[in-house]
Amino acid sequence: MTLIAQAASGWFRWDWITNNADAIWDRTLEHVYLTALAVGIGLIISLVLSVVSLKWRPTYQPITWVTGILYTIPSLALFAFLVPVTGLSVLTAEIGLVSYTLLILIRNIVTGIDAVPADVLESAAGMGYTQGRRFWDIELPIAVPVIITGIRIATVTVIGLVTVTSLIGLGGLGFFILRGLQNFSSPIGTTQIFIGTILSVVLAVAADVSLAGIQRWLTPWANRGVAE
Amino acid sequence: MIELSDVSKTFRGTDAPAVGRLSLNVGVGETVVLVGPSGCGKTTTLKMINRLIEPTSGTIVIDGQSVTDVPAHELRRSIGYVIQQIGLFPHRTIRQNIATVPGLLGWEKWRVADRIDELADLVDINPDMLDRYPSELSGGERQRIGVARALAADPPVLLMDEPFGAVDPIVRARLQEGLLSLQERLHKTIVLVTHDIDEAILLGDRVAILNVGGHLEQYDTPAEILRSPASPFVADFLGTDRGIKRLSLIPIRDIELEHGPVVSADAGSEEIEQVMAASGVDWIAVGSDGQLDGWVPREDVRAAGSLTGVALRPFETTLDISDSLKEALDAVVSSHTSVAAVFEEGRYLGMLSIDTISEEIVQ
Repeated sequence: MTLIAQAASGWFRWDWITNNADAIWDRTLEHVYLTALAVGIGLIISLVLSVVSLKWRPTYQPITWVTGILYTIPSLALFAFLVPVTGLSVLTAEIGLVSYTLLILIRNIVTGIDAVPADVLESAAGMGYTQGRRFWDIELPIAVPVIITGIRIATVTVIGLVTVTSLIGLGGLGFFILRGLQNFSSPIGTTQIFIGTILSVVLAVAADVSLAGIQRWLTPWANRGVAE
Repeated sequence: MIELSDVSKTFRGTDAPAVGRLSLNVGVGETVVLVGPSGCGKTTTLKMINRLIEPTSGTIVIDGQSVTDVPAHELRRSIGYVIQQIGLFPHRTIRQNIATVPGLLGWEKWRVADRIDELADLVDINPDMLDRYPSELSGGERQRIGVARALAADPPVLLMDEPFGAVDPIVRARLQEGLLSLQERLHKTIVLVTHDIDEAILLGDRVAILNVGGHLEQYDTPAEILRSPASPFVADFLGTDRGIKRLSLIPIRDIELEHGPVVSADAGSEEIEQVMAASGVDWIAVGSDGQLDGWVPREDVRAAGSLTGVALRPFETTLDISDSLKEALDAVVSSHTSVAAVFEEGRYLGMLSIDTISEEIVQ
């Protein structure tokens, strides 16, 4: 016991954690805030772009093309490019983070809507649904499982990416990782890296599990046993 | 009720029309079946009635009003629509599915609830089922829900596109019976599409036989079509068993029954031999006063010398006077005695032999 404590004390400082509990909590909240904002805005933009590409099919290819390019730009490069324009701000961070959600979300929304069975669409039209109402009442709800799957992937991705925004003075839990790297040789530094990393992972897992729960709650009709 | 006049539909990118100058009248409360091979435009014709497909030319009038007088979605809310794959909404309970059109029409909640109870009763759905989701139901159950949903707002017209095409034959037969009894009570104006001529004969008050390109070959009652096909195409489409199909439309009631080789239980061996010889059979039926107890093969009677102590065999297939000659034929060919015993409310009326039935086939 004492041996482990001694070995651990070489790179790990409990007292740093207890002394900085408030800061850790604040940074965790910032992490959640930056993630939620990015996924929320990303979802709204993606819904609009998905509706556009569903209504005018030829636009789907260019839209996935552009969002695909955004997805491949290294985040570091994107921030370096944006800082001269938008400064060290939440706006800069969010432009980057939102960009990374678009491809995942749009793909899942469009795929989900496309997967709505043709007979469901025909019967809905045949009973007198207008196109718009059919989209909101029938197509979108049926696509919800696929869409939420996309939201889960986007959320986990963004939680990882938020740490990078520490480079522009934000970063949520990434703030500790960056600090830790800056004084890597001290036990405080390694403690900071450790806490920043562990809590990011915990956040990602917690977000994924709760979204899966929301998905089950929103779609009680899915995964029911099939009679026959 | 529904009048199609010179209706044509040519799809974009094709030269030949899918439906060319088709005119067809459907009376109030009538069931009309559109039948024909694939490519005959029957589904296209059906979908032009509720404007899921817009005609290239011609007019369609329902109850004196052109279908183009109102927006398509409003028109469709007043027409029931049932398709082969049913298209129930998987994310909504059965109750919510049935409430679809009343919901679109903005009915009040209590009225929708009352109507759902009524429909559940009408199409024989267990009320427990109403709060389940479509994926939890069998194919036959889903089909009945589809019909209930189409009838929800009590539309005068019902369009059905191969409604029983996706279920197995046993369930199909049950659903067909269900539709017939439903129609007896509701008297909707029904247009039904099928590729199955037997289904058309069974369900249609009138049958429209379409050829490729939506060409109307014959439009008449099933009995008339079977009796005199208007063209070689129709005769070919009806099949070589046309005469047998016609039997399904003739009730036993219309045929004179034979008394049959029936003697009372106390008949002597001489009488028995006489009756068997007169009917040209090697068995004797036993019964009296509207009762039919069973039958005995000749050997058994001869061995015993009389009917006392001889074990009677039951008639395996018995028919009701309201059954069709088709059912009589099935009974005859599957029975040991080559006849079918006919009853009315349990009272023995007489027998039908294969000879009597084949006379009807030839006619």
